[in-house]
Amino acid sequence: MTFAAAATTAILAATVLLQAAWPARRLVLVASGAALSALVVSLSGVSTTGRLLAGVPWDVLVLLVGLGLVTEVLVASRLFGLLAVRVARATRAAPGLLAFVFVLGMYAVSGVVNNLTALMLLLPVVLILFRLMGVSQRYVTWTLATLLVACNLGGAATPIGDFPAILLLGRGAMEFTEYLVRAAPLTLAALTLLLAAVFGLARPARGLAATPLSARLTVATLSAFHRGVRLDRRALLSGLLPLAGMVAAWLLVPASTGVGPELICWIGAAAALLGAGRLGERLARTRVDVEATLFLLFLFVMVGAVGETGVFRDAARLLAALPLPPTAQVAVFLVSSALLTGVFSAGPSMAALLPVAEVLAADHPPEAIYVGLALSVCAGSSLFLTAATAGPLTQALVERASLRGEDGAPVDLGFFRFAPVGLLGFGVTLAVALVATLARL
Amino acid sequence: MSFFAPGLEDAFRTAAAELGMCSASRLFVREAASDGPDAVAELSDRLGRPFPVLDAVAAAVLEGAPLRGVDPGEVLATLAGLRRLLVAGFEADFLDALVRALSGEVRVGLVRTAFLEGDWERIADNYAGRLELVEMAAFAGWAGPRSGLLTFLYGVEGAVTHVAPAWLRVAGDDVRPIFRELVGWDVLGRPMSLYPRWLTEVPAGSFTRLA
Repeated sequence: MTFAAAATTAILAATVLLQAAWPARRLVLVASGAALSALVVSLSGVSTTGRLLAGVPWDVLVLLVGLGLVTEVLVASRLFGLLAVRVARATRAAPGLLAFVFVLGMYAVSGVVNNLTALMLLLPVVLILFRLMGVSQRYVTWTLATLLVACNLGGAATPIGDFPAILLLGRGAMEFTEYLVRAAPLTLAALTLLLAAVFGLARPARGLAATPLSARLTVATLSAFHRGVRLDRRALLSGLLPLAGMVAAWLLVPASTGVGPELICWIGAAAALLGAGRLGERLARTRVDVEATLFLLFLFVMVGAVGETGVFRDAARLLAALPLPPTAQVAVFLVSSALLTGVFSAGPSMAALLPVAEVLAADHPPEAIYVGLALSVCAGSSLFLTAATAGPLTQALVERASLRGEDGAPVDLGFFRFAPVGLLGFGVTLAVALVATLARL
Repeated sequence: MSFFAPGLEDAFRTAAAELGMCSASRLFVREAASDGPDAVAELSDRLGRPFPVLDAVAAAVLEGAPLRGVDPGEVLATLAGLRRLLVAGFEADFLDALVRALSGEVRVGLVRTAFLEGDWERIADNYAGRLELVEMAAFAGWAGPRSGLLTFLYGVEGAVTHVAPAWLRVAGDDVRPIFRELVGWDVLGRPMSLYPRWLTEVPAGSFTRLA
């Protein structure tokens, strides 16, 4: 291994570890790591900063920003709050049914918008409902942890739901339809198994005291919170129509036209913002997720620097040299990917592992490898509460909600409380990924 | 057997944060009353002491006075001629009725203070653009010869009344001369019989108009 290879790999690993350990400084840490990596490859003559920047998958960033803005237009329509009221009314605030419907809703929503946005849409209203209906620690733990796993599964179900799939789409590793057709049924299978285990065996609402009058009060209060809230039809149409157009174009426009998924997204986002009028201008100026965009940009620079030194090719060669049959090598890759994601989170893991997957895809059906990788990363995202940004965010929101259990004790969602459900979600998703991938080889 | 699940106090606190103490009390008492007086009595037993406004609302219902709809007629009369109305403190039932009854030419603002833990955006969304959220630093910009400042009173007893703490942030001596009217709207209609937790006592004479 050359000095540049060792140094850039060490910088990448150290930065990823440090940002995971010190999330309050994560943007500065990855910015510094990227600058240091660029310095190492420049001084060692392996590459240049210009080449590293040219290698950044800008199309992926365009997809992330564009989808984020379309989501903001949809959020401004107030659709999700009103839907939550409908759900509360339809389920009559029955705790078990409510949890089940919200888990399904989270899966569906996170397939269309990114995971953090999906959580920010649903979690505040879920937490209000929890405060209104009265909950137990057990109910909160199982419901919210399952919600997080469903959020990860929904994100992996479509090519636009979360970063790993967007990366596959943006890099041209897979086409929209190809990914959707292969990944969605698998995530749905994993979700079904998860729901069966959680609601059939664990039963989050077991032992929770509920009375008809308290349930009525819950519904009446939530309805009162939204008594005069009206759907903003213009914002809704401005978001939905371009999104439908984007999905249709992703499905129908062939790559041979030169119109890639990122351009379709760019045009769709522009149409959504234009349609929303002044709201669109305000959203474009204030609601771009600068933190996530810069984080990924710096990450791509670091991964690009490591890639320039040939480390990923060597890693793939090492994997191929393992004294195992090819299917077992793929299984080792998928399990390692899931575990690495559990520690380093989805963004860094996917960015680092995709080059290795590309080498494996030369010898195996590419779509099986890529979808297997996306699902393994999804499994890893569910392993620990800290494995995806959504986990700590949920933890913080639960703390801020000051929930109390039936005994009056504070209710929280910490690392160890999440662990059993996370392990279940990890096991189920990884098992589905392994079975589906190995069956295709 | 209890009519209510264990987390009743948290539920009420959540409702009061976004609807106001009196409006949340009316909602809880109304729902309980549909299960009969025993449910109202239990509600009062469990929440009356920590939330004296609810205690007063429940007591009125238990004494046989039904919960009526809100009539903003009297307060409307005190606001005649105003073009800007700034509200400190929040009561959903009452502000809903007032905003509906006010002419569209009257600008209505709600002072955004730290005392209310509800979702401010959602609170404003309920008024279809009629209610503007006003930061504390900007509230003086609403002052003028045709401007009024309004808050909700929780019972008037002789020379004193009780208001939400938000009122004290906006109604200092320097504010009185720059608003034409300082209006207090009694939403409770009777004095509280318990210590008025969460509220602040002020002289009833500190308002130019009472409704």
